[in-house]
Amino acid sequence: MLTDSGFTGVVIGEAVDTFDGAKGEDKARAYEVYGYTFMASRPPERPAGSGRR
Amino acid sequence: MAQDLPVDSHALREQVRGKYRAVALEPGAGFHFHTGRGLASRLGYEAGVVDALPDRAVESFAGVGNPFSLRRLVPGEKVVDVGSGAGFDSFIAAGQVGPTGQVVGVDMTAEMLAKSRQTGVALGLAHLEFPEGLAEALPVEDAWADVVISNGVINLCADKRAVFAEILRVLRPGGRLQFADIANGRPVPAEALRDIDLWTG
Repeated sequence: MLTDSGFTGVVIGEAVDTFDGAKGEDKARAYEVYGYTFMASRPPERPAGSGRR
Repeated sequence: MAQDLPVDSHALREQVRGKYRAVALEPGAGFHFHTGRGLASRLGYEAGVVDALPDRAVESFAGVGNPFSLRRLVPGEKVVDVGSGAGFDSFIAAGQVGPTGQVVGVDMTAEMLAKSRQTGVALGLAHLEFPEGLAEALPVEDAWADVVISNGVINLCADKRAVFAEILRVLRPGGRLQFADIANGRPVPAEALRDIDLWTG
């Protein structure tokens, strides 16, 4: 979805078992829910005239 | 497109607002997720930085990852925190960008905003503000931000494409989105996706 939205250079960090020991752990386990960190960029603007014809 | 969303955006927003009103007012009440200093430690935040923050800055923290783990912010950067809650990540960001930077924490829950604003004043952070707003309609100018951060918020928005489009709008060209959120490894049944109660716990 990030790339579909126009972001580039997507990086995804390690999964974190964020619900471990919490009340929501059972539901999280059922659907293999983990926390992740993401990084992505808005593409830089191209100088005028640098686009493809 | 709105007609393709599994739940009504406004109804979900009210459900989320109610849940996080409780997290702001009764952070120790016990939720389906962890909160506070224990959670910050679990997610790998720098202990010294968290220890230096007052309890009210940390106790309502309910993130799902550490948006600073892939890249530390740079002094002078302008940052937008989408769904800033009681301000925990905004305070971390304010420390990393320093007084030459700026941080705008946006949230839709009045009780969270009141808490973050009071803490920001108490900490004397003049380069930090907390306006009210929605992830889908950020009160920020086009291309203002060097970095957008967020933590455990986008999964609570029905129209994620609208949120990403809005983030793209406020980022400058070449700017970065650094966020943490949950993702499921197994598909959630369609009927569960339409059950609004399951979105918030």
